[in-house]
Amino acid sequence: MRIRSPKDFWAGLIFVAIGAGFVLLARQYRLGDLHRMGPAMFPTLVGALLAALGLVLALRAFALDGEAVPRFYARPIGASLVAIVLFGVALQWLGLVAAIAALVLVGATAARDTRRLESAALAAAMIAFSIAVFVWLLGLPLPLWPNS
Amino acid sequence: MDTLGNLGFGLGVALSWQNVLYCFIGCFLGTLVGVLPGIGPVATVAMLLPFTFGLNPAPALIMLAGIYYGAQYGGSTTAILVNIPGESSSVVTTLDGYQMARHGRAGPALGIAAIGSFIAGCVATLLIAYFAPPLAEVALKFSPAEYFSLMVFGLIAAVVLARGSLVKAIAMVCFGILLGLIGTDVNSGVIRFAFGLPELADGLGFVALAMAFFGITDVVLNLEHAGKQEVFTSRVGSMLPTADDLRTSFWSIARGTVLGSVLGILPGGGALLASFAAYMFEKKVAKPPRAFGEGDIRGVAAPESANNAGAQTSFIPMLTLGIPSNPTMALMIGALMIQGIAPGPQVMTERPELFWGLIASMWIGNLMLLVLNLPLVGLWIKLLAVPYRLLFPAIFVFCCIGAYTVDNKIFDVYEVAALTAVGYVLLKLDCEPAPMVLGFILGPMMEENLRRAMMISFGDPMVLVTRPISAAFLVAALMLLAAIALPALRAKREEAMQE
Repeated sequence: MRIRSPKDFWAGLIFVAIGAGFVLLARQYRLGDLHRMGPAMFPTLVGALLAALGLVLALRAFALDGEAVPRFYARPIGASLVAIVLFGVALQWLGLVAAIAALVLVGATAARDTRRLESAALAAAMIAFSIAVFVWLLGLPLPLWPNS
Repeated sequence: MDTLGNLGFGLGVALSWQNVLYCFIGCFLGTLVGVLPGIGPVATVAMLLPFTFGLNPAPALIMLAGIYYGAQYGGSTTAILVNIPGESSSVVTTLDGYQMARHGRAGPALGIAAIGSFIAGCVATLLIAYFAPPLAEVALKFSPAEYFSLMVFGLIAAVVLARGSLVKAIAMVCFGILLGLIGTDVNSGVIRFAFGLPELADGLGFVALAMAFFGITDVVLNLEHAGKQEVFTSRVGSMLPTADDLRTSFWSIARGTVLGSVLGILPGGGALLASFAAYMFEKKVAKPPRAFGEGDIRGVAAPESANNAGAQTSFIPMLTLGIPSNPTMALMIGALMIQGIAPGPQVMTERPELFWGLIASMWIGNLMLLVLNLPLVGLWIKLLAVPYRLLFPAIFVFCCIGAYTVDNKIFDVYEVAALTAVGYVLLKLDCEPAPMVLGFILGPMMEENLRRAMMISFGDPMVLVTRPISAAFLVAALMLLAAIALPALRAKREEAMQE
């Protein structure tokens, strides 16, 4: 047996895992009956359907030809995720100014053609814009500096 | 009140200086984003949500709507001048529009796109005004069983009309429903699937989800396929189409408008499908079948009219049934809920100023766009010269601040990161995010209505098929599934998606 459609195969496996996961997690809640459906009933039904669909996908991948899984490039997704998490951490402890600086400077490295000076200027511009629009104009409650 | 009276009342609401201003801002931002390739309307509406938090519901909705149909206008500019669709709904416009630009007729192409969009927008506005109220009347009589079946039908229809594998799309709907169920169950008070995180008691943030799946993942994928874009900025010339152009494209605009309006109402429809269908239809019926693909003005007029009509009529199911037909409408529903308004047929009677004001604002917005687009094309062209490396960090900033400010919770920012990772892997495996987002919004409503239906019927699931309207929805859903499973139709559908 050879996997002929890797994309479908892996998507199927992921769906089986998610569906089964929700069904298992739902077991800690009350199932009830159809007349009085408990909190576990609907998620169990949908989770089972998802797992079944995933199984169909995964099994079908042995019969039908499909595309290979495309390459995952570490840099764009990695830099983006790190930048967003840094934004969250910085916003909590250091305020908006530091958070935007971190987000733009780290986020910009997601592209290969980033230039340092340009990123710094962009960060400054985004900070100025965000303070002017979000904080002053719209009055959203964003902490600007540490402990403010 | 009759329809015209209602529209007049709506015009009164929409013409207050505040609403005109927000309508303008929405249209302007929508065009701007429409012009820029790589940011879709869903991400834009999501990013601009924080701007509406301080507003009343009517101006908030008017602005968000302006962004959506404004983006349809803007997308055509990029399609014609750069051969890159600014929006996915402008993909077919690149075929003939760019060829026209290469033959030195960029001006008339832009002009006819704007004129066609304007006509289509006006017709669609009237359609909404006439068709929405009776539809809402019917919907008010629906019992939970009918609502549940309607949602099943809506989701199936959305999936069938979407791109890619049917099984994957239905699986994504299920995944979306499950994600939507995270958080406190309103019936029992139990907190479900929260992994002990108190932040998840209110459920996953819809804005965070939309940002992750339509904003950040899109940026990441764009960065992976960083290609060169060539801006076709040589003189645009006169924007006015010649009398001959107008004569040739008159019926194309009419056909595009009708087709777009109809397809926009269908669940899963909207601007994208409308423009594809209109182009293919035009190729079949237009006489003489001159030079499609080589710069035929009708190949610009029809899809551009259709996508604008479709963008606007897709508001009908959202406004009357509270059911989104595409991810942008799902965001609109999210925006309504943030404003404390439960979407559904009662909105029209309880908040007439919101409903009719929004409809009237669409007409005003279309007029603004016509004025905005023709003279400002030079500005939009300059915008296209901004390199992507300067754009995408700004998208990050808007997404993160937007996600945070919905509830002022840092946790929502982490949600964006986590969902981006999930969305990235799924997109790599060709699993489209749109069905998932619809499932996310409809999931809790489906559970609630199914529960009530079962409660009323004492646990007899047959109630879903013994009530005629409910049965009709389910049969229609089954027929759609059967139709798409038939090989002949399947081939046709794939052919349509290929073009």
